[in-house]
Amino acid sequence: MTEFSPGLEGVVAAETKVSEVDGANGRLIYRGGYLIEDLAPTANYEETAYLLWNGALPSRSQLDALRQEMVAARRLKDSARATLMAMDPDTDPMDTLRTVLSAQGATKTIAKPSVAEAVALTAVIPTIVAGAYRRRQKKDLIEPKDELSHAANLIWMMEGKVPATERVHWLDQYLVLLADHGLNASTFTARVIASTGSDLASCVVGAIGALKGPAHGGATFAARTMLDSIGSVENAEPWLIDAHARHARFPGFGHRVYRTYDPRAKILREMAKTADPKLHQVAAHTEELALKILHDAHPERPNATNVDFWASVVLTGAAIPKELFTCIFATSRVAGWTAHVLESEEDLRIIRPASVWLGPEPGKKPLPLDKR
Amino acid sequence: MSEYVPGLEGIVAAQTSISLVDGANGQLVYRGYVIADLAEDMSFEEVAHLFWYGRLPKRAELDGLAAQLSESRALTEAASAALAALPEDADPMDVLRSIVSVQGISRHLEKPTLEQAIHATASFPTVLAAFHRRRQGLGPVKPRADLGHAANYLYMLNGAESTPEVVRALNTYMVLLADHGMNASTFTARVIASTDSDMCSCLVGAIGALKGPAHGGAPSAVLEQLEQIGTPENAEPWMREARKHKVKFMGFGHRIYRVYDPRAKILKAMCERMNPKFFALASQVEETALRILHEEHPERPQSTNVEFYSAGVLQAIGLPKEYFTPTFAASRVAGWTAHVLEQVVNNRIIRPQSEYVGPEPRKPVPLAERG
Repeated sequence: MTEFSPGLEGVVAAETKVSEVDGANGRLIYRGGYLIEDLAPTANYEETAYLLWNGALPSRSQLDALRQEMVAARRLKDSARATLMAMDPDTDPMDTLRTVLSAQGATKTIAKPSVAEAVALTAVIPTIVAGAYRRRQKKDLIEPKDELSHAANLIWMMEGKVPATERVHWLDQYLVLLADHGLNASTFTARVIASTGSDLASCVVGAIGALKGPAHGGATFAARTMLDSIGSVENAEPWLIDAHARHARFPGFGHRVYRTYDPRAKILREMAKTADPKLHQVAAHTEELALKILHDAHPERPNATNVDFWASVVLTGAAIPKELFTCIFATSRVAGWTAHVLESEEDLRIIRPASVWLGPEPGKKPLPLDKR
Repeated sequence: MSEYVPGLEGIVAAQTSISLVDGANGQLVYRGYVIADLAEDMSFEEVAHLFWYGRLPKRAELDGLAAQLSESRALTEAASAALAALPEDADPMDVLRSIVSVQGISRHLEKPTLEQAIHATASFPTVLAAFHRRRQGLGPVKPRADLGHAANYLYMLNGAESTPEVVRALNTYMVLLADHGMNASTFTARVIASTDSDMCSCLVGAIGALKGPAHGGAPSAVLEQLEQIGTPENAEPWMREARKHKVKFMGFGHRIYRVYDPRAKILKAMCERMNPKFFALASQVEETALRILHEEHPERPQSTNVEFYSAGVLQAIGLPKEYFTPTFAASRVAGWTAHVLEQVVNNRIIRPQSEYVGPEPRKPVPLAERG
C-alpha cells in the first residue's frame, strides 16, 4: 500500500487518449493530438465534441448527421419538464441542471454507455440551462430552434431572439476551450461512477455535482464577482492590496497543473478585448497587479492566471448572466465527461482505492444502551 | 509521479475513522466496534449516530435522533410532484437519484451539515416506498412517527406493520450495509465533497455509482441465477455447464476480503432461519461455486460476498428484487453522509493525474478539406 497523498496529487488514476494537460509546457492537447490553440480556430463545439467521442474530426456529412442527432435530442421528456416546473424558480441553476438531467436520464433498464447517449445528454443540457434561466426570470420556456448551432440555440432558448454572430462565436469558442481537461475532479467523478458498470446519466449527474463546488466549476463566477467588486481600473490596486492583507485568495489565479500561462486563458484574453473592451481593461490591469502581488509574496510559486479569470470576461461579453457561468461550464464539459466514460468502458475495472485507518483500535465492546 | 494502478487498487485516497475493512482477517469495524458485536443488537439509528457523532448514543440522545429522523421523513412538494411525474416503469435507482436531487435543492450553496445528513437519511425510505406504491397503483402511505427507521420503511412500503422478526431482519441488513471503507460510491461522494460542493450533490453521485452492477447493482442478479439453477440437485451440472460458457457466478469474489466476509456470515445464518427454501438451494450453490472456483484458481481466495445471502434475506423480508439495490442505498446513506462530513473537515480537492496515451501533437485539417 502506498502512502496517503492528499487529493491524490501525483497519483495516476487513468490512461487516456481524450486529452492531455502538459502543465510544464503550458499545453492542452485534445484527442487526436490537437493543441488547443490549433483546434479552437478550426473547429466549433459540435466538431470538438465529435472529436472527443470518436477520435477524429468529422467530415461534412458526419457533422451534418451529428447535428441532426442533436436536434432530435434537444427536447425535454414530459417527466423532466414536469420536474423542472415543480421546482422553486430561484433554485441554484446547478441544482436544477443536476435534477432535471437525472429525470431526463431515468430509464427502465440499465444501458451500457453509448455515443448516441452521449450525444443526447449533451444536446439536452442547453434546454435545461435555458429553462432554469427562464424560470428564474418568471418567463415561459422557449422551444429549441432546429436550424441553430449548439451555442446559438442556447442563447435563443434563454432570450427568444436569434443572437448576433459574434456573441455566438464567443460562446462557442468558450465551449470548445472548456470541453475537456485531463482528470479534473468532475471528470474523475464520472469515471469512478462508470467504473461500477453504471449508466451514462448517472456519471454525468455525478459530475455536475462535483463541478458545482467552488473549488472546481464555481471559480468563473468567483472571478467575475471579484471583477464586479473591483469595478474600475483605479480600484484594482487598493482592492487587491486590501484583499491580500486579509489573506483572501484571488479567484482566477493559480492552478495545480499549469506551471506556465494556461493556453486557454491566453486565447480568451485575446478574445476578451473585443468581447468586452471595458471589462477587459479592468481585468488586464487586475491581472498585472495580482500576478505581481502573488509573485512578491511567493516568488517560488508559478502563480499564473487560470482559465476562469478570462472566461468570466468573455462570457460577460457574450451577455451570459453570471449565475449561469457554472452551468455553461457543464454545457461544455459534458463532451469530455462522456468521452472519458466511453473510453473507460473499453477496459472497465472498479475504482476502489484504499484508506488509512485513524479510528480506535478494533475490538472494543459496545455497551448496552442503558449502560452508556 | 507514481505508476498507473488500474482501479487505484492499494492506493490510499483518504484517511478515515468511520470504518475499517480488514480483508486479511475478515473483519469489518465501525469506529472501533467489530460488526458482529453491533449487527444483532443495535438499531440502524444507533449505528448512524455512531457514524455521525463518533460514539454510540445514550438513551436521551437516541430518542433525540429518532425524533429528528421521524420529523424529516416527508418529501418536499417539488419532490412529490417529480415523483408523480417520473415514468412508472423507471428503474427505482434512477427515481431515487432524481428525487434525492429534487429534495436537496436550495437557492444557495451550503457546506455539508449533520442536519442535512439526518434529513437525507430520513427521506430515502419515503422516496422508495412512495414509488413502490405508485407502481402498484396505490397512494403513498404517510410515515409513522412512532415507528423506528426500518419498521417505518416496511410500513410505508406495505401499508401495514411488519412482524418484529421481519423488522429486526431489515434492521440488521441495514446495519451490516451501512458502511464499508473506501468503496466506489463512498469514494464518489468524497470526490464530489472535495470540490466544496453540497451534501445533496455527493449523495446523488453516490447513488449513481451504487447503481452499477459491479458495486450495488448485483444482488438481484444472485436471485436470477438461483432461479435459473432451480434445485439443489441441478447446481453441479448447471454450474459446470455455465463455466464452459464463461458465465460468472453471482455473489462471489471481492477485491478486499481474503477470508469469509463477516457480513455474509451473519446474513447466511439469518437466511437459514428466515428463508429455508432459498437456503437449501443457495447453500448447495455456494458449496459448488466455491469448489469449482477453487479448482480453477486455487491461488485465489474466492469467497462468498455480501450480496449472495443478502438476496435471500431481502426476499424473506418481502422486498421485490428491483428494491434490493435501492435498499442498499437506504442503508449506505448513513456511511456516505458520515464520509462527506469527515472529508470536509480536512479537505483537499481530489484531482489525480492521467497518463496520456494518445498521438503526439499534430495540426487539425479544416472542415472543407476533410475527407
